[in-house]
Amino acid sequence: MIEKSTRRRFIEGSCRLLGLVTLGGTAGLLTERASANAVYQVDPGKCKTCDLCRTSCVLSLSAVKAVNDFEKCGYCMLCPAFMDVMSKPDEKGVPTGKVCPQDALKRKVVGKVDADDPNNNYYEYVVDEARCDGCGKCVKACLPPAGNGSLRLEIRYSRCVECNECAIRIACPDSAIVRVFVPGIAPAKHDL
Amino acid sequence: MTASVSNGRHRVPARTRNLWLLLLVVAALASSVVSAQYQKKPPDFGGVYSFPSPTHPEPRADWVRTLDVSLLVAGLGVAAWIILKRRSRDALLLLNIGAIAYFGFYRKGCICPIGAIQNVTLALVDSRYMISFGVIAFFFLPLAAALLVGRVFCGGVCPLGAVQDLVLLRPLKIPEKLDRALGWLRYVYLGLAVWFAGWGLHLAIGSWKIDVGRRFLICEWDPFIGLFRISGPFHMLAIGAVFIVGGMVIGRPYCRWLCPYGGLLSILSRVSWKNVVITPDKELDCGLCANSCPYGAIHNLRADRASCLACARCYASCPRELEHHGHPAGGGSLIQVQRR
Repeated sequence: MIEKSTRRRFIEGSCRLLGLVTLGGTAGLLTERASANAVYQVDPGKCKTCDLCRTSCVLSLSAVKAVNDFEKCGYCMLCPAFMDVMSKPDEKGVPTGKVCPQDALKRKVVGKVDADDPNNNYYEYVVDEARCDGCGKCVKACLPPAGNGSLRLEIRYSRCVECNECAIRIACPDSAIVRVFVPGIAPAKHDL
Repeated sequence: MTASVSNGRHRVPARTRNLWLLLLVVAALASSVVSAQYQKKPPDFGGVYSFPSPTHPEPRADWVRTLDVSLLVAGLGVAAWIILKRRSRDALLLLNIGAIAYFGFYRKGCICPIGAIQNVTLALVDSRYMISFGVIAFFFLPLAAALLVGRVFCGGVCPLGAVQDLVLLRPLKIPEKLDRALGWLRYVYLGLAVWFAGWGLHLAIGSWKIDVGRRFLICEWDPFIGLFRISGPFHMLAIGAVFIVGGMVIGRPYCRWLCPYGGLLSILSRVSWKNVVITPDKELDCGLCANSCPYGAIHNLRADRASCLACARCYASCPRELEHHGHPAGGGSLIQVQRR
C-alpha cells in the first residue's frame, strides 16, 4: 500500500474536522428546539372521526383506540354507539345490529339487575383494545345530542412505536393529532 | 280555510292535521325514548357499583428512550471494535442478530437514521416542527461515526442491512460500472425524500394538477419494516419480498443502490479517520478477500472506503487473518465464505 502523502492526509483531516463541526453544529441547532417529552395525541375537540386513524397508522392494527370515559357515560340500555338503532329489533324491541364493525365495544349489565326487562337495566361499555382498530364509528355515534360524548379516540402509548413521524398526523385532514407534553394533555406551544 | 269558516265549523284540512299528528307521535316517541333509555349523566347506582376509570398508558419512559440511544452508541462502538480491531466476522454476525432483534423486531424498525433524514429536513425547513432528542441522536451519531471509523453503522447496527446480510447466499459479481451507475439512485431517492418531507409536491400544468402534501417517502416505501412488524400494506410487503429474494444472490441491494442514508455515509466515509484496510505487510495479496467481498468494495486488492459496508467477510476469508486469530487456515470459522 502506498502511504498517503502528507498533503492528502492534511486535506482528509480538514474535511473530517469540517464535517464533524458541521454535524455537531446542526445537531446543536436542532437540539435547541427539540423536546424530550412531547408525544402525539388526538385532540377530541378537532377530531372528526374520519377513519384515517384506522388506515394511516404504521401499525397494521392502529395504535389509536376508542376510550370510554365512564364518568361521562350514561350507561344507557339503548346506546347509539353500541347498537345500530336503525337496525331490525328483536322480539324484546332491542335493535340487533351493532355499530362497531370489529365488535370491539362490549357491554355488561351492572347495578341492580332486572332480569325480565333489558330496558330497565344499566350497562357498562368497555372497548376491547385487541379488537378496536380506531375507526371511530362509535365515537361519532356517541356525539351529543344522541350520546354524551363519553367515547373518544386516543393514541395508546402502550402500542404506539413512536415512529419517525406520526403517519396519522400527516394524514389527518383536521390537524387533530397534536403534540402534547407528558404528563397532561395540554397542546404543545409550537405545534404543527 | 274560507270554506271551513263559512260552514260554521272549525275544521282543519286533512294534510295539516296529519302533519300535527305525526309531530305529536314523533315527540311522544322521542320523549319516551329519552326518558327510558338516555342518561345525560351516569346513573346513581346507590353504591352497588363502582365506576371504573379509563386507563391511559404512559408514553415510553425517558429511560427507555435513553436506552435506544445508548444501545445505538454501544452498537456503533462495538461494531467499530469488531471490524477494525477484532476483525471477526462471527462477532459481527452476533451483533447483527442483536440489531435485528432490538432495533428490528422489538422497536419495529423505529426510530431509524434513514427515516430521520426526513425529520431533520422538516425541522430545518419548518421551525414550528418539534424534533425529538432521539431522532437527532439517531441521525447524527452514525454520521459522526462514519467520519471517524467508516460505515460501521451499515455493517453492525442497521437492522435493514443485517437482514440483507443474513439472507445473502451466493453473491453474484455485479459489473463495476453498473454498480456505480445504480449507486446514483441513492442520491435521487435522497433528493426526492428530502423534497417530499420538507415541501411536498404542488404542481399545476394547465388543467393537470398534482397536489401532494408533505410525506415521509422513505417510511412509506421501506422494504423491511413489514418484516419487522409482520404486517403492512401490500406494496411494502411485496417490495420486501423482492429485496429479500434478490438479496440472496445480490449483496445488500437496498444498501448499495437505494439507501439514502447509505449515500450520506458513503460521502462522509471517504475522509474517515480509520477504515477497513487490507495492507500487504499483514496480508498476502492473494486475492481471496476480493473474491469474498459480495459488495464489490475491493478494488485492486484495496478496500474502497466509500462502498465498504464493513461486513468483515474479507478478514474471514483471509488465511493470514485466520492464522493470526488462532484458526487453522481456511477452517474453524462459523461462516464459510464462498470462494471461487
